Amino acid sequence: MADYIEAKGQKIEIDEDGFLVNPDDWNEEVVKIFAKVEEVEDLGEDHWKVINYLRDYYKQFGIAPMVRKLCKDTGFSLKQIYDMFPSGPAKGACKLAGLPKPTGCV
Amino acid sequence: MKVPLHLAKEKEAQAIGFPPVAEAEHQMRLLAEIDDYRKSARSLMVMLETCTKCGACAEACHSYLGTQDFNNIPAARADLFRKIYKRYFTFTGKNLSRFIGAEDFDAETIGKWVTYFYQCNECRRCAVFCPFGIDTAEITIAARHILTRLGVMPRFMAGIAANMAKTGNNMGIPKPAILDSAEFMEDEMREETGLEIKITVDKPGSDILYIPSSADFFSNIDTMIGAAKMFHALEVNWTIPSTVLEAANFGLLFNLDVMKEQNERLREAAASLGAKLVIQGECGHGWRAAKMYTEGATGPAPFELVHVLEYAYQHLPKFKLNKLPWRVTLHDPCNYARAGDIIEQPRAIIKACVTDFVEMTPNRERNYCCGGGSGLLMDEMMEIRMQLGKKKAEQVKELGHLDYLASPCSICKAQLPHVMKHYGMGDLKMGGVMDLLGKALVWD
Repeated sequence: MADYIEAKGQKIEIDEDGFLVNPDDWNEEVVKIFAKVEEVEDLGEDHWKVINYLRDYYKQFGIAPMVRKLCKDTGFSLKQIYDMFPSGPAKGACKLAGLPKPTGCV
Repeated sequence: MKVPLHLAKEKEAQAIGFPPVAEAEHQMRLLAEIDDYRKSARSLMVMLETCTKCGACAEACHSYLGTQDFNNIPAARADLFRKIYKRYFTFTGKNLSRFIGAEDFDAETIGKWVTYFYQCNECRRCAVFCPFGIDTAEITIAARHILTRLGVMPRFMAGIAANMAKTGNNMGIPKPAILDSAEFMEDEMREETGLEIKITVDKPGSDILYIPSSADFFSNIDTMIGAAKMFHALEVNWTIPSTVLEAANFGLLFNLDVMKEQNERLREAAASLGAKLVIQGECGHGWRAAKMYTEGATGPAPFELVHVLEYAYQHLPKFKLNKLPWRVTLHDPCNYARAGDIIEQPRAIIKACVTDFVEMTPNRERNYCCGGGSGLLMDEMMEIRMQLGKKKAEQVKELGHLDYLASPCSICKAQLPHVMKHYGMGDLKMGGVMDLLGKALVWD
């Protein structure tokens, strides 16, 4: 029972938590669709700064960065991140960036 | 089968070594697995055969109190297993089943087991109040283990087991990311203290192996920093193994074969780095799995095993501390207070680190679970998780103003912010006990 979203005319598979099954399927259209699901308002430059940072880190290390490192390197406080991504850095921000859902005790 | 959580798909179950059994074979395999399990766990049979349905457990169980679901009464939950056991493994059950509360396996059995054995937090509070000492956690552990052997398990658990197999930790953090994060934390400590406090990884010839929770390398950074500062203050030779960046052992929570693999990783890491002392970080069930089952799973261990809070407590007189002017309470993780003998140590540490320590009621071995225990951290279970956390929220609310809620376990640390927010205490700061020690330490 796979779920899909449609972006740029293509069917893209998502998992039960609504995250991309394959991070390579990510594109800007996906971000816009996920933004609605995660109640992200006024997707703008600041959001993209976080999204691009997460994607770059993931490309290099194969995992999401520590939350505090994300804050420090992007210059946003944790509160600002929550204001931008109401479901938080691990859920909302990682989902929009196309990363797998951080799992374990989080 | 309708259950309140996402089950692992066939390829996910297969990937961790439990290809799903065809539904037509469920009954046969379930009975074979029960038969196998009971041979090595007579305690399970005692618990299945001694319950008198006195009802003492009902009011003791936060799961029942929070959900008001009959099947979440510990005796009723255990009955889901007990009825099958009686029907197929006892003389009276085989011949007179309808008179003794035995029940045939049917199309609902597996779904009911998944639904209710995954609403038990394995917190063991029922065992404190049961006149016979029946420990429903043991029955839940057995049921979940058996379900997994049938290829039936939460997708959440299967994902963690896949990460454990690949990286040795729940989050799936690879070594380059561990090194990067360790360096980041060293930078943070340098900025704060001006000192070169190290977090070394895989250093051969280390005396001490420190096993953090992998969540300490994601969200609970202050717990890791607290431990690093403590080791620096004591000037000891310590390291973290990249192969076991994980105090947790989710195998205990869904399959004992998986648990043994992680026990073995711990043993190998200690042997390869030459450590004689292994210190487990802040993780409740992981402490139980390491302390109680490492030797059972892998044979005599060539190292001493202690918990970081025991270790910090032992060395408490040596630390130079400046008390934080905070009002702090302690949530006792179930596996410390009811399965791991860590009760007074965190209290002594907190009292040394803050000006105002206050107990919640009940506490120690009578404390209520946070509602996330046994790995019930699935997003899709959020509504149930909030019901399971209701008693905890009431306990905290009764204390009035607090500056900090200490909960030295990564599952509690993941669950409690949701619970507090849900019950109107979203501003409360939370974290571990080592976090407090790290903040209170002063340097010459």
